[in-house]
Amino acid sequence: MFPGQGSQRRGMLATVDPNLKNKVTELTGVNLEDTDQGYLDSVQIQLSILILQMDQVNQLRAENKQPDLVAGHSLGVFAAAYAAGVIRADDAIKVVAQRANLMQNAYPDGYGMGVIVGLLRKEVTQIVTDHFDEAHPVYVSNQNSQLQVTVSGNIVGIQTVLEKAKAQGAQKAKLLRVPVPSHSPLMRGVAKKLTEALSKVTLKAPNCIYLADYNGHATRDVKKIAYDLGNNLSYPVYWDVMMAIAQEYLTTVSVEFSPGHVMTNLLKAKAPDIKTITLADMAMDDAKFLLNKWA
Amino acid sequence: MSEIKSWTTHRDAKRQKLENAASLLDGKFAKTKDAKALLETLIDSNDKVVLEGDNQKQASFLSKILASVDPEKIHGLHMIMSSISRPEHLDLFELGIANKMDFSFAGPQSTRVSQMIADGTMQVGDIHTYLELYARLFIDLIPNVVLVAADKVDHEGNLYTGNNTEETPVIVESAAFKDGIVIVQANEVVDKVPRVDIPSDWVDVVIPADEPYQLEPLFTRDPQNITELQILMGMMAIRGIYEKHNVQSVNHGVGFNTAAIELLLPTYGEQLGLKGKIVPNWEVNPTPTLIPAIESGWIKSIHSFGGEVGMEKYIAARPDIFFVGKDGSMRSNRAYGQMAGQYALDMFVGSTLQIDQYGNSSTVTNGRLSGFGGAPNMGSNPTGRRHSTPAWQSLRPDNDPLGKGQKLVVQMVETFGANKKPVFVDHLDAEEVRKEAKLKNVPIMIYSEDTTHIVTEEGIAYLYKTDSMAERQAAIEAIAGVTPVGLRSDAKTLADLRARGIVALPEDLGVSRGQAKRSLLAAQTMDDLVEWSNGLYNPPAKFRSWS
Repeated sequence: MFPGQGSQRRGMLATVDPNLKNKVTELTGVNLEDTDQGYLDSVQIQLSILILQMDQVNQLRAENKQPDLVAGHSLGVFAAAYAAGVIRADDAIKVVAQRANLMQNAYPDGYGMGVIVGLLRKEVTQIVTDHFDEAHPVYVSNQNSQLQVTVSGNIVGIQTVLEKAKAQGAQKAKLLRVPVPSHSPLMRGVAKKLTEALSKVTLKAPNCIYLADYNGHATRDVKKIAYDLGNNLSYPVYWDVMMAIAQEYLTTVSVEFSPGHVMTNLLKAKAPDIKTITLADMAMDDAKFLLNKWA
Repeated sequence: MSEIKSWTTHRDAKRQKLENAASLLDGKFAKTKDAKALLETLIDSNDKVVLEGDNQKQASFLSKILASVDPEKIHGLHMIMSSISRPEHLDLFELGIANKMDFSFAGPQSTRVSQMIADGTMQVGDIHTYLELYARLFIDLIPNVVLVAADKVDHEGNLYTGNNTEETPVIVESAAFKDGIVIVQANEVVDKVPRVDIPSDWVDVVIPADEPYQLEPLFTRDPQNITELQILMGMMAIRGIYEKHNVQSVNHGVGFNTAAIELLLPTYGEQLGLKGKIVPNWEVNPTPTLIPAIESGWIKSIHSFGGEVGMEKYIAARPDIFFVGKDGSMRSNRAYGQMAGQYALDMFVGSTLQIDQYGNSSTVTNGRLSGFGGAPNMGSNPTGRRHSTPAWQSLRPDNDPLGKGQKLVVQMVETFGANKKPVFVDHLDAEEVRKEAKLKNVPIMIYSEDTTHIVTEEGIAYLYKTDSMAERQAAIEAIAGVTPVGLRSDAKTLADLRARGIVALPEDLGVSRGQAKRSLLAAQTMDDLVEWSNGLYNPPAKFRSWS
């Protein structure tokens, strides 16, 4: 499991292979700061998370640890595709840099995301439909768990939806610190440009099952993976469905790549029988030991 | 003279196929490594193929091999399976080896099934109850090939399926007598089988498997997880249904509600003086929570659909109770079990995920097409039934001179489910799912017209006593708690329904809420069950808190 933005923290790149950091500078001109100040910038965040995850993939690969399924959440799809052998490191870095820039420039202000905990998707959809306002559009976006749904769009519209959700019994309904209406139709322009950028990149067939964000389906089709990399920003992430599919493939052990352990917590609640490893919370040697023991 | 018509085309085709496979066979036996080549020889594209797999036992070796065949050679298979349980069952469709499915249950693969139906990867013939699916094997879904699993096989090809005989006989019979090809995976080849469950004469090909078939302890419920609310509901059910209707024979679903009842019989039931008066005869899987009721003399007979991992030794030591062969192991039979559920039982007690305002229930929720399992056969009233029992007669309407009794079909649900969402809803998710999956019927598990009682933590609705849909809805609302459906009820209606015996609250039944404590259960842990069984029950590893 490869998380997207949200759990980045200063110092997280401390043990990352310096060659990867240099490669980022070489290919994009960006110097990764790995500081609180640096992580105010989405380009810094996205590239840092990408190389942190790719570095961890490299370390596990060196021990011959290969996944049976990969799932990336939003930005996480790039490291997931890298782990599946679909995209090369250099290409991933270049495309993610473009992605971050496109996102940053798409909606300079007034747009973002909110999260609602305690309501079903159909309940949130009803609220969004009932209060839709063309001037302040809002869309139901990510399905992180059965009772955790995000909304994306105009901040004014989102505030209205969050209030109604609370009134309808949501345990939590708050704005996220995301300055972009990700995973909604408002990102179609960005998705189009990203798709163009990806069309110049050679992608290979995956060596494992890839769980796609945009429809929650499992696939081994490189065309569908390419579509997910280019377009997931304009679709909800069906994370909860992806995890249900992972269970149906009889997954026994999960590994969450850094940063954070949000995905692991969601998975534990959904599938208590799956053994979990979070790379952010343990030394790589411990993770390798557990993988040898369990997988 | 016109050309003479051949009446043996099926027989000839089967003979030809087996001749083509001759180099891979030594008598009926094939080598494990030749399994794929053998299936590619014996199965034709577009064949109807039964792959054995129910909610417990899976022909997992053969399913893996079938998913590995060359789709150029074999494609377009029409699969017939009572349960879609394993990932490779669906890989068959992604790879194009199969394109059509007739099935009953898809719980463990319900998300992928839902997606594959929606995107057209899988065409669905129909979603069946178990008995319908078995019956169609003899009418219009007669298989060309069946792939089944056995525990042991002797050198002649006689099969031992033992505790987990389940649906092997019905599947094999549909092919063996209609020139279908019967292919068996066996855990073990032995000189002499403990007993013959399937005679060698019905078997064409045996392949020793590289590992034992998959077997799930599906019906095991750890008493540790039974809540006091479930105990309260169990007490109400015992008083307000089992005792009231003088129920003699019963099937329980797999939930904790019914496990609670099983563990209340030797304690609460005993206090009520009901021992020897209710439920001596059972059609149920040998779930360990039955042990205290068996040991204390409540239960006189149990016939089972399938086995239950860990119960083998206990069953072997209780042949007075279970159906056991001369060898000492149980014989199960899912088809006979479902038949008994339809025609021989007084009562079915189960649970569900949603009940609508009219009393229809379903376990299908958005994005998950789980199918049915055993509940719809067990939980329906066979209108052709003739024989009378006190419980059946007790539901007879008194205003119809030609009236007859009815099977008791009881749903036990808490008003809010595990996700804190109401179980009682105006409309079932299943209605939406019908549209998404383009099904002909809404996948309702138990219809309102068959549902005679609903038990919640609030009380019991005696739906069979209602004489209009409006009254039925009012009775459901009265026990639906603070769900939106329940909030439509008012004090006056409730008082009227109670006065007329259509709704009963715990106090109407003499059930004291304060008595509903976990200490009332005959066993509170898996360890207690082992103790009740005198050490004969051997819980599967995941149910052990000790090692």
